[in-house]
Amino acid sequence: MENQQERMDLSQIREKLDKAKEGGLWRSIGELAERPEFEEYLHQEFPRQSASLGDFVNRRQFFKLMGASLALAGLTACHRKPQGKIVPFVKAPEDMIPGQAVFYASTIIKNGGFGVGILAETHEGRPTKIEGNELHAASLGSSDAMMQAEILNLYDPDRSQAILKFGRIDTWKVFWEEAFTEAGRQKILKGAGLRILTPNTTSPTFIRQMQAFLKEFPQAKWYQYDPVNRDNLYEGARMAFGSPLMPVYDFAQAQTIVSLDSDFLYEGPAAIHSSRKFSEARRLREGMERMNRLYVAETMPSVTGSIADHRLRAKPSQIASLGVALAQAMGVPVNGASAGELSEAQRKWVEAAAQDLKASGSDGLVTVGDQQPAALHAIACAINAFLQSRVTRYIQPAEFNPGNNLNGIKALARDIQENTVEMLLILGGNPVYNAPADLKFEELIPKVKLTAHLSRYTDETSALCVWHLPESHPFETWGDARAFDGSVSLLQPLIGQLYPDTRSALEVITTLAGVSKLPYDLVKETWAGRNIDKLVHDGVVPNTAFPSVSVSVPESVSVPSGSLPSGSDTEIAFLPDPLIGDGSNANNTWLQEIPKPTTKVCWDNVAYMSLDMAARLGVKLDLTKQSYPLMEVKVGDRTLVVPAFPLPGHADGAITLHLGYGRTRGGQNGSGAGFNAYTLRGSDSMSMASGAELSVTRQMYPVACTEAHHVFDFGTGLKSPTDYIDSSNARPIMKVGSFTDYKKDPHLPDHHHHAMEPMSMYAERNYKTYDNPDNHKYAWAMVIDPQVCTGCNACVAACQAENNISVVGKDQVIRQREMHWIRVDRYYKGPADDPELNFLPVTCMQCEKAPCEVVCPVAATVHSEEGLNQMVYNRCVGTRYCSNNCPYKVRRFNFYKYADYDTPVLKLLRNPNVTVRGRGVMEKCTYCVQRINHARIEAKKENRRIREGEIVTACQQACPAQAIAFGDMNDPNSKVSQWRKQPQHFVMLEELNVTPRTTYLARVRNYHPELAPEEHHAGDH
Amino acid sequence: MPQVFKKYHNTVARVTIFGGLFGLVGLVLTASNVSRSSYVTKAMVPLDQPVPFSHKHHYEELGIDCRYCHWSVEKSAHAGVPSTEVCMSCHSQVWTNSPLLEPMRSSMASGVPVAWNKVNDLPDFVYFNHSIHINKGIGCNSCHSGIEKMHLTYKSQAFSMAWCLDCHRKPEANIRPQGEVFNMYYKPPKNQEEVEAMMKAHGLTLKPGEEMPTNSAEFGKFLVKRYNIHVEQLDNCSVCHR
Repeated sequence: MENQQERMDLSQIREKLDKAKEGGLWRSIGELAERPEFEEYLHQEFPRQSASLGDFVNRRQFFKLMGASLALAGLTACHRKPQGKIVPFVKAPEDMIPGQAVFYASTIIKNGGFGVGILAETHEGRPTKIEGNELHAASLGSSDAMMQAEILNLYDPDRSQAILKFGRIDTWKVFWEEAFTEAGRQKILKGAGLRILTPNTTSPTFIRQMQAFLKEFPQAKWYQYDPVNRDNLYEGARMAFGSPLMPVYDFAQAQTIVSLDSDFLYEGPAAIHSSRKFSEARRLREGMERMNRLYVAETMPSVTGSIADHRLRAKPSQIASLGVALAQAMGVPVNGASAGELSEAQRKWVEAAAQDLKASGSDGLVTVGDQQPAALHAIACAINAFLQSRVTRYIQPAEFNPGNNLNGIKALARDIQENTVEMLLILGGNPVYNAPADLKFEELIPKVKLTAHLSRYTDETSALCVWHLPESHPFETWGDARAFDGSVSLLQPLIGQLYPDTRSALEVITTLAGVSKLPYDLVKETWAGRNIDKLVHDGVVPNTAFPSVSVSVPESVSVPSGSLPSGSDTEIAFLPDPLIGDGSNANNTWLQEIPKPTTKVCWDNVAYMSLDMAARLGVKLDLTKQSYPLMEVKVGDRTLVVPAFPLPGHADGAITLHLGYGRTRGGQNGSGAGFNAYTLRGSDSMSMASGAELSVTRQMYPVACTEAHHVFDFGTGLKSPTDYIDSSNARPIMKVGSFTDYKKDPHLPDHHHHAMEPMSMYAERNYKTYDNPDNHKYAWAMVIDPQVCTGCNACVAACQAENNISVVGKDQVIRQREMHWIRVDRYYKGPADDPELNFLPVTCMQCEKAPCEVVCPVAATVHSEEGLNQMVYNRCVGTRYCSNNCPYKVRRFNFYKYADYDTPVLKLLRNPNVTVRGRGVMEKCTYCVQRINHARIEAKKENRRIREGEIVTACQQACPAQAIAFGDMNDPNSKVSQWRKQPQHFVMLEELNVTPRTTYLARVRNYHPELAPEEHHAGDH
Repeated sequence: MPQVFKKYHNTVARVTIFGGLFGLVGLVLTASNVSRSSYVTKAMVPLDQPVPFSHKHHYEELGIDCRYCHWSVEKSAHAGVPSTEVCMSCHSQVWTNSPLLEPMRSSMASGVPVAWNKVNDLPDFVYFNHSIHINKGIGCNSCHSGIEKMHLTYKSQAFSMAWCLDCHRKPEANIRPQGEVFNMYYKPPKNQEEVEAMMKAHGLTLKPGEEMPTNSAEFGKFLVKRYNIHVEQLDNCSVCHR
């Protein structure tokens, strides 16, 4: 504590930050600023200060604990093993083989009510892992972090289990008596006092039931509201084409893609589909002559922005100006708006984008983020129509009553104000927490006589309603949902109801309507005439995608005055949190602990801002304690205190706030984490606010940010810390280059490659004898392709679900003790203010000559015949020598008993094929050895070789960009062998000669000749 | 000055030195033997069960195949314990009034399963798979030896890791033709005549370059090769631990 470093003042390190322009890769501003704290991270596996952080025991406690543990140490072996029980079925189900997983198709409902098809791995009737459904358009077999973590939502111990009246446990019987009485009265009034609020829905069965219900109550109103919605998108289409239409893009065919603040590879109902298609086009192939080009203009670095060829940072209000300028440069007439003054960089970006769009013609497209104003969407529609873009088509929206979220919630607020509402049913959603702040829902709800809130948690809204009704998880119910393209998939219960009192929205509305049919029968009724068994088996209802709607090309776009934001010096962009979303996932510890894709912050939301802005505001960081100053953000009469977080690549003159944090009744993990940005968000500022006043306080707030965690030394014998970023002295970490270079020489040569002769301290093992395909021997290997990796973290979540990986909590993350077996490293390249982002997923490299193995005193980590670096938990005594000797820093240690052994419902969550690790045990990626063993056993039983593609690791399976290949590298035809033969194939830290089995390909960008950075020689880093 | 040590001190010294030495060795031996004894490992100790099921009666005396009840043993990691319905498929016809079978009848009537005490209970970090052993010619009684004679079921092995590894390193000592896996009375062929008879019975023929095994050890090696078992890989940690 004594040698506390002085705080890092951003205004005083400008000169050092400018070094980044020299072109190397760098990881954090602490590194650029040559901060001693960063070097600490580099050289110490666990930084020294981590022990002095917070709650370390004092001397007296230490002796007490030591004495007790000595006395008890000898007795730990003395417990008797409890007598296990075997409980067989009374009547065994026909298709279930105990010990063999069965996969069932179902659907996950994403924000906006859109479905994504899944296959759920179930063990003896309990789902444990989610995979994408290949037959489903929105999944194509891949998934994302939120889908992976949905399984934890199902088993969340904080889920509401009981029906409550004024917070006291009551019964459904009493509720229905009250509800039927009021409904009977409403029926006479034709439902004039009845209001129903739901999130957006695409479910044909639910919509059908709601419409039948509303026929009975013709004057009742059904409003839909999601805080993160597509109102602007549909309004824009209405402006351009006269009706709300939904654009669907073909990113596999598009040659030029211009994204105006659209994170299409990550956000929205089509994200996984888009990512799959985009990566298809983007992947380097030998002899490749053409590559698509992606332009992104955005405020804060997003997943899509990170893979862009030309990312332009712009304030929220400037995005629209760029759109207008682009339209004008294309020759698309826009009435009523002018681009205004553009900076040099912006003008060049617009010119290049316009030039490329024109050249691509019908293969070009412009896409706009949902949060951008409707007029900009209309402009994009006009540009796409002007291009006669064949990669853009329009379909009818899948949601019921699309684009009326804000209107709906405002109308409901008005109805309550006017005292016309006597009965309010809120089926899902959390308006008290996430409705626009100016509507003051917390004051409105209590004004209604009978309010009932159906939700999975007793949240902020439940607390103010008369009745709280516990909601079933979608995995416990029947239902259906449409995907982004309109195609339908079914929900089927993957497990019986965990809690007998929960109901789905469909059940509540049918009961209230007096329909006595079960949800299954209702779904069956909706899809009558089709083979329901086949639909349930496949999960998808074939031929239900919406056909394209032909649109007329608008002559010009008229932008009503005031519909484009005017902007100010200090703007706020509101975005859904990349993992927590609108806040509904706030209690999900997996999603809380997975670092946000581009910023690596976890467990919190912060105010992201540019480095210049941070310097102007006088932001000083305390890197020792990983603390950031709290800042007061004031918009009108609304204020919020939130940590100020300088982020390379953020637009100047704006801050970005993520929604979804600062829950007060969000469960034991959701409550108290982060800061509630909804308090600043009014109905006039749903996606951006201007004229904010910022004042930095002297109060510091610790933020768990993993950007400097598990960093490794780039170089040996470095003379000065600047050498870390001067690439000529450093060791290659990642191959980054340009497509032009790749076309010249696909090897993207680097001059380190030939410098050293392979020499190794470790015993050689020969795996090459496995060449004969009949000998059933394998050499497992993995190749990761950063060229298409968007850094979305789906792999991290999938690994966590598959391998029973514990969460450790914010406090432990700050001490660099997060347990993720795969991490996605982020490397910046270029100027500190506006760098390019490159992602590099790092797993255990399964080195053939593994440095970790030779130092283990108890042989708890040893090599297998197939080249796996095995980790034997039951042998490990926790010396951590292995981790210390790991050059890639991929080993994780259980400092505490992180795994929850006690909560009964969480026991259902575990993968039964992977050990749940206890305290004091090292763990790491095993290449999903349980899946390898399963495949090997099945192949051996059939006396055949394991087929190519039979083993899919969890990370590989989830990856929406298909950036991971896994297989037998001795089989010359395997995908992994093919990738290893690619000229741009690259071995991280090759000169250590540990011959890792996990290797990489290169990342190249397809620069516009005019905009290419001056210095982009491949291999310089 | 009188003698400090009296004559009897010689005896005391001898007893202390030898007693201490032997006592220490004895203590170590006792501890190690106790920890391997069936008192600790529960090997050879029959457990109480809701129904005193006899493997001897059902297998040896009635000749019911193992897979009638343990039907998933060839397909899954778990051999499977029969559902109440399987028991009642016979016992709704025979011994219908036996008081010993009351738990099964009430389970069938109430739908509440019978909870058996687990006899062969491996540690949670061991991932044993029945199906691969069965499919590769390891007989049931290689691990569950004497099961055909058990009136009450007990585990016949302590299942120490060393015991598992013995076989994983030398599977030829225990392997048998796949057709003999469920035969609890299998005897490995001792001489060439018996080997030839055994091979004929199971349709095993020599491939070019193979020599006719002449004793049980050679026959074991022949089967290991024939069943494509990679012995060098069998003692890899991740085969059982993950």
